[in-house]
Amino acid sequence: MKKQNRFKIVAASVMLLGGMVFLVVAMTRSTSMRYFTPALLVADGSSADKQQVQVDGLIAEGSSKWDAANFVLTFAIRDRETDATVNVIYKDQLKPDNFTDGGSVFVEGEYDASQNLVVATKLMTKCASKYDGAESAVPTDETSYNSSE
Amino acid sequence: MTAEIGQAAIFLSVLSCLWAIAFLSVGLRTRNPHAIQSGRNAVIATFILISISTGALIYGFLTDDFSMRYVVEVSSAAQPLFYKITALWGRMSGSLLFWLWILTVVGAVVVWQSRQRNEDAHDTLADHALIPIVVVQLFFTILVTGLIEGIYNPLARFPNGQVAADGQGMNPLLQTPLMAIHPPTLYVGWIALTVPFAFAVGALTSGRVGSDWILRTRRWTLFSWIILTLGIALGGNWAYKELGWGGYWAWDPVENASFMPWLLGTAYLHSVMIQEKRNMLKLWNILLITLAFQFTLLGTFITRSGIITSVHAFAQSDIGAYFLGFILTSTAGVIGLIIYRWKRLKSANRLESLLSRESAFVLNNWLLVGLTLIILWGTLWPVISEAINGEKSSVPESFFNKVVIIPGLLLLFLTGAGPIISWKKITANNFRRLFVFPLLIGLVGGALTWGFLALKGYTFPLYSVLCSFAAVFVCVAIFAEFYRGAKLRAKRQETSFLNGLNLLIQRNKRRYGGYIIHIGIVILYIGIMGSKGYFLLESEPLAIGQSMQVGRFELTMKDSFKKEYANYRRTGVIFDVKKDGKHIGTMEPALHLYHKTGQGEPETKESAIRHFGMNDLYIALGNVPPDIMTGGLANVQVYHNPLVGVVWLGIAVMVLGGIVAIAEKSDRSREA
Repeated sequence: MKKQNRFKIVAASVMLLGGMVFLVVAMTRSTSMRYFTPALLVADGSSADKQQVQVDGLIAEGSSKWDAANFVLTFAIRDRETDATVNVIYKDQLKPDNFTDGGSVFVEGEYDASQNLVVATKLMTKCASKYDGAESAVPTDETSYNSSE
Repeated sequence: MTAEIGQAAIFLSVLSCLWAIAFLSVGLRTRNPHAIQSGRNAVIATFILISISTGALIYGFLTDDFSMRYVVEVSSAAQPLFYKITALWGRMSGSLLFWLWILTVVGAVVVWQSRQRNEDAHDTLADHALIPIVVVQLFFTILVTGLIEGIYNPLARFPNGQVAADGQGMNPLLQTPLMAIHPPTLYVGWIALTVPFAFAVGALTSGRVGSDWILRTRRWTLFSWIILTLGIALGGNWAYKELGWGGYWAWDPVENASFMPWLLGTAYLHSVMIQEKRNMLKLWNILLITLAFQFTLLGTFITRSGIITSVHAFAQSDIGAYFLGFILTSTAGVIGLIIYRWKRLKSANRLESLLSRESAFVLNNWLLVGLTLIILWGTLWPVISEAINGEKSSVPESFFNKVVIIPGLLLLFLTGAGPIISWKKITANNFRRLFVFPLLIGLVGGALTWGFLALKGYTFPLYSVLCSFAAVFVCVAIFAEFYRGAKLRAKRQETSFLNGLNLLIQRNKRRYGGYIIHIGIVILYIGIMGSKGYFLLESEPLAIGQSMQVGRFELTMKDSFKKEYANYRRTGVIFDVKKDGKHIGTMEPALHLYHKTGQGEPETKESAIRHFGMNDLYIALGNVPPDIMTGGLANVQVYHNPLVGVVWLGIAVMVLGGIVAIAEKSDRSREA
């Protein structure tokens, strides 16, 4: 009787653990999205075609257009180091706060390699570094993104 | 001068910490009461020294001392007095000092609490526990000395006598009352967990590994749990009001960092009951509280180290390495102690059946720890994926939402099943008497939810039906416990039912406080189900005079406004709101543009929220064009969030239950 109980307890534990691991692995596989810089995405676009991606870079100067009547924001993300850019379309959402030319931007969405376009479902912004040259010893080590989805 | 005094106090407290560790260790080893007393005094001295440093920093804020670097970075002359004080924890180095200060308060309170026991030379548990507390204090003291690269002393002045003309001001997102009190609330909750952890270590070092350490820190653990519950809720409430996306929880790493210690603390609150009642899980309890404590530090590591900073930024600094180092060495230390005391940690009893109260507790622990690990996995996935295949990836909010549902529903079911299942082994009688009725009513509840949602046009909403079934089952099961207990008391004492209920709770505040928390959990689940599952969202561009429809509400944008304040400009629009055709008032969503923003961003959304019973109407404003008065379009998103008020109600009930449970005095007689 005692032995049987132990077996049951071990079996139940294994099932529970197995179930949880399975759930986590399956969900990670189905939702995980790769992170790119614009340069990497342009160079390796075909491998990310029609996949969910995250892209982090700067809002290319003069590239953004906000169509208030149709709720569409279009702009290009520029790489922080190279000239590579990726186009972004962000629909049916409010215009994000602190969306300024040269500011940092982070988007999540599906990438279309043929148009070099990310259809963003999430977008976060951060203003261009405002304190360059301000008080000598002041670092900008602690900034936070504004989140909007 | 004050800043220099404050700095000196920090350096002196390094010495007082070392003094405390040395004298307590030696005193305990040589059984020298004078050395032990000297160590205790050093703990009090640290508290006084750090209070002086903290006071000196606050003085710097109040006097606008812009020769101090930290003051310049988080304050400004025009900042309101309240935010000048809360600027203390506005950025990292000040936060660390504030954290340290709370920790020294905790140390002093532990010394004070055990003052009577100290007369008894054999009872050294509290003195043993002081050592790990002081070690943690020492770690934080060293961090704020300014000697560590990447973290400066919060009391440091600019080099060469430089003085800034004005400060940069605090991040606008932090300049709201909720955000001002949210971080310190979390800190207090996290830091309070240091005490049960320290007593666990003290139990290992002193060899008294019975339940004494658990009983003596029961109130600390509950206190921490209550405060963490409040702190997390405040954060969610703040996000809901200030971030403008209509939700209160997004599985952001910062949120996860606050939630994981709460889950582990909750698991610990349950597993200690098994040790007290059945003398099982001794080792597990020590591991669990160690894990919970380490997760409070891990949270800081995750959010401050920069390992996931490309996704959600906080600070990128070396501090993460120090935290990780401290976490690893202290965990290794605890494991070493556990191995040293291995023989004493063996359990006297084993699980006898899969269906028993013990098993329910174990399952609860598995699920809570499992959830913690799942959330950790998701939070650290950018690091893990890079290690696995060299590609940095991350998981979105939807990963967490999907993955927590099943463990979450099982946990909900357990909040009802746990309290009514019998110890050792379930019996047919136990099942018939306590389970059948709540299960049947639960089925009715699930069916009614199904019917209600089907009428509204939803096709079989599986999770909502399961959630309603479990919620009703739990409520009936727990109310039945109250009812039976109260009736029995009333009959025995020959008094009224209400008196009986009162007596019942008074006699066992811990148990019935716990049940009240369980009811709060059910309420919280209902709120989450409604607000996450059934919100309405309408996005429209509107010119002045135009209207939009959201559910039963009609909103007409009738005007715009612009107001100037000392530190910001407020622009917004005014809506006339009608419900079912009846005019019910106006709502004013707005945007703030801050002039002094510190390290934050200048623009923030100030959504307009109106409560209708437990449901909210929520308007977020995207932009106010300059030509708004001549036909320009403003973009708005309007949410109808059902049952979001129930979320806050559930948390309030949980906190209330916690307060009832903490009112029960710790049992100090056993083992002492």
